[in-house]
Formats: sequence, structure tokens, C-alpha cells
Amino acid sequence: MRLGLVLADRQEAEMARDAESHGLFGVLAGTGDARTAVTSAVYASTATDFVRIVVKVRLGLEHPVTVAEELSVLDNVNNGRTVVLVDSGDLAVDDAADEVAVLREALGNRPIQHEGPRWKVPAGLPANATAPKAIAVTPKPAQIEIPFWTAIAREPAECGSAGSVQPGIARIAGSLSEDRALVTAWAEAGATHLLLELPEGGEAGNRAELLTMISRYLAPEVGMPHFPRVMSDSRVPLPWPGNGRA
Amino acid sequence: MRFGVGLFSLQCTAMQPRHWTGAYRDMRELAVLMEDLGYDELWLSEHHFFYDGYCPALLPAAASVLSVTERLRVGTGMLLLPMYDPERLAAVANDLTARSGGRLDLGVGMGYRDIEFDGHGVSRKQRLPRMVRGLEVLEAAEAAGGAPIWMGAQLVDPVKRAGQRGHPLLFSAALPFERCRTLTQIWEEGWAESGRPASDKPALGALRNIWLTEDSSEREAARDWVRASYVQYAGLGWTLPAVGEHQQQDYAEETDKAIADTVETTISGSAEECVRQLKQFDEIGIKHIAFRLILDGEPRDALENQLRRLADHVLPELRDRVPA
Repeated sequence: MRLGLVLADRQEAEMARDAESHGLFGVLAGTGDARTAVTSAVYASTATDFVRIVVKVRLGLEHPVTVAEELSVLDNVNNGRTVVLVDSGDLAVDDAADEVAVLREALGNRPIQHEGPRWKVPAGLPANATAPKAIAVTPKPAQIEIPFWTAIAREPAECGSAGSVQPGIARIAGSLSEDRALVTAWAEAGATHLLLELPEGGEAGNRAELLTMISRYLAPEVGMPHFPRVMSDSRVPLPWPGNGRA
Repeated sequence: MRFGVGLFSLQCTAMQPRHWTGAYRDMRELAVLMEDLGYDELWLSEHHFFYDGYCPALLPAAASVLSVTERLRVGTGMLLLPMYDPERLAAVANDLTARSGGRLDLGVGMGYRDIEFDGHGVSRKQRLPRMVRGLEVLEAAEAAGGAPIWMGAQLVDPVKRAGQRGHPLLFSAALPFERCRTLTQIWEEGWAESGRPASDKPALGALRNIWLTEDSSEREAARDWVRASYVQYAGLGWTLPAVGEHQQQDYAEETDKAIADTVETTISGSAEECVRQLKQFDEIGIKHIAFRLILDGEPRDALENQLRRLADHVLPELRDRVPA
């Protein structure tokens, strides 16, 4: 199982940079106002080079073609690192499924001609006489296909083991023993990617300590079965003389 | 005067293919360079469903630039307002304004392509009421400290409406100086009709095709990049309508003539000549000039060279004369 970090609203750039420098797989952006999730993800993207940018997309707030266009721009800004975490919001199940279908088709590599219970794309409205029967959203995403996480577990018991990816989200306590037990429980339940929320919103003051705990103790613990703890409990290697680390 | 560069549209064209990710990276790098060179503004442009990836989502693109700069303003020139949910748009613009320390300029236009309306489920017949409704929402946001609204228009009625509503215009680079002057007068009539004091009038803006050089072969190359970049607009079906004595330029039906006429708007020559022509805009109240330097076929080193040349030889002359 791999660990990631939940970003606090308006602290996306600094926290994403910290997550990357601590070797985490990714970050979750869009935890504040759902309407500004893509902006949050852009700020996390331009501050980093490698971490996956998981962006929480609330359905039902905007036409899905517009959302697809924003996601495609985001994916080009971050060179193919986008992952979409779907939040169905207030939509009924069928409507949410239709909206996700439009999003995925719009981000795909074939022209779209979609007719479902919620959306018809293109709309085929009489006033738009010269519009063709199909459209193609451009630019295309940088990656072959943007991963969609349509569900995320909030408890280890919600995890399934059938799919190749089972994301989860959990808040750590800031205590090594408690948090070691927490992540171990998730790993044993079959989670593949666990996004960690820092306690008290992860203020900058103790964020460095918490990230060190995550990267030095928690990530190795769930990175392999039967992790030999001597490797994280041992003393940190000496720095280059004069480089500052005590 | 204040100086910017545009229009960043992040395309991968038939004539200048590249990876879109590289286009977005280049824009961030150029924005940092522009900021270092003393430019004030970067302007983006929007279209939808075009083969070359013409940027369809300006606020995420603006966020990418604002997040890597500290002083440069970023404007949308123009965001096609009728195609968006205005409340959501206002929320995103407010967020970006807060994050960037107030460096977003929200230019809005109506759009004109049926395919773009239909792909977003909007009837073209509804574009004016949706535009007005959207403006009401954005104006309320602006009054509460949100992004300043700009408008793009080239017909008499929309230009006058912009004046009446109190929003500055950013004129297309395809408009010759004389047409800019006519439209500025119409905008000022609208401003006066609204009862606003003349002393509160905002400065207007104009995109300008420009290339500072005294080398004839370089000048011809630059004019050809201008030509190639307007072929894109022929493909988009854009038309510059007739206004008073100013004739229509129809990029779809009279492509070669319309493009040739537009290339003639290019300001080119020595620094003195560029300054002389730009001063004309200053004198009629157009004090934001966005150099239209993002051209089809133009190598990046030529662009960077031109950015430096204009920053060294033109900006200081005009900034000193009329501090913005």
C-alpha cells in the first residue's frame, strides 16, 4: 500500500511540495469549496514534478463537458499526473453514472455523441444549426487515460480486494503507535492507496514532523509484508559535513 | 501605459506541431521571463472543440501562470461567458483573485460558433440573456473585491453596452487604429450615457501585432507568422463585422483579403517607429497594449528575443511618458 497526503485549502502548493519531497505517491486537492477544486489542483501541480494529483470532482455543479475541458488542461499542466476522485454530490445514482460517462467519453480519444438520462452531447439544439453531430474535446489529456476513482473507502471495512486499485482516506492522530496501527489495518484490509489527512488541518508548524513520521515509519511499514523495523528505527545517516543536519 | 503579451491559446497547430504539455510548460516559463523583463500582463484566449487544442479552460490555465509568478497580471481575453454557470465561475475567479493577490483580469465575450454552444448544451439564441445574467453575477463579485471585468466586442451595440456598464474593452489586434478610435468614441458615449463621471473612466486596452526590427528579412518572417496565425481564425470562421465606414473583413469567405488586410495592422520597424505608433493609442485612451506575439510558425528563440527587444527599447519610453 502507498501513502499520500490530503492537502488543506489554500496550502496546496507548499503541502504538495512537502509530500513530494517525502516520497509520497500523491496528494488530494479540492477539499475546500468544491467549485474551486481544479484551481487547487493546478496550484499543487505547478509546485511539483512527480506526485499524482488526485482532484476531487463534485458532480452536478457544471456541464460535464466544461469539467472535462478543465481536467484536460489540468492534466497537461501537470504532465499526465491527474487522478479524478468522483464525488456524486446530490445527484441520483443514474444521473451520477451518466455524468461520469460523459466525463470519461469527453476525456477519451473518440468523438463524443452521447445520449443518456441526464445529458445529450452535443445537445442538437435547433438554434445551433451549423453544429455537427459529434464533438471532440481538445486538448486531449497528457496521459493515455485519466484514472477515475468513483469510490473511496473511509473505513478499512469498506475496502474490497477485487480491483487493482482500492483507495482510502483516513486522518492520522500524530502518534506513532496509533498511526502505525491505523495504516497497518488499512493495508491488511486490501487498500492500495491511502490518503492521509493531518490532524488539526496540518498546520505548517508540525507538518514537517508529521511528514517525517509518515515517510520514515508509516510508508515503509505498509510498503512490504513484515517490514523489519530496524531500518526505520536506526539512526539517520550523517549529512555531508557542513550541510546542517544534526 | 501598461504592456502585456498575448494571446496564449496553447495550440498544437498543423503548421507548428508540439505536445500540449510543452505548450503549457512554455507558457509558464515565458510568464516568468515576462515578469523579469518588466511586462505587466499576460492574456489568454479561449475556443472549444478545435483540432489543435485551442485552450478551452482559461481559469485553470490562468491559475498555472499565477501560481508561478508574483507580479504579472493574467487576463482572459476572452472567456466565453454564456457557456458557463456564472455562480461557479465567480467562485473560481474569486478564489484565484484571493490566491494571487488580485492579479486576475476577467475578460468576457459572447462567443460566435454554433459548435461551442451546442457542445455545452446552450442555445445560441440564449447567448445574450446568458451574457447579461453572467455579467450581473460577475459585477456583484467585482463590487465585493473580485476580479476586474473586461469585455471583448467589435460591434456598435456591444461596445456601447460595455461603456454603459462601465467595463473596459480589449480590442482585437485585427482592428486597425482608425477602427479602434471609432469604437473608443462609441464606448465613451456609452460611458457618458450611464452618468458615470468622466474622471472615473478606466483605460482601455488593445492587442497589437508588432515586431521591432530594422532587418527586412526578419520583418517579412514576422509578418508571415502574423499571416499564419490569422489563418487559424479563418478556420474558426471568425468575421470582423462592418462598423460605420469600416468594412467587414470576412475570414471565412474572403480569406486571403481579410488576412492580408490584417497583416497590414502590424507595427514594425525601429524602436522609434514602434513608439510613435503606440503613442497614438495612448492619446485616445488606450493605455493597455498587449503585444500579439504568440504567432503560428514563430520559433521560441525569436519570441524571447522580441520580448527582450521590446522591453529594452519600447517599454521604458512609454512608461516614463504616462505612468499607469
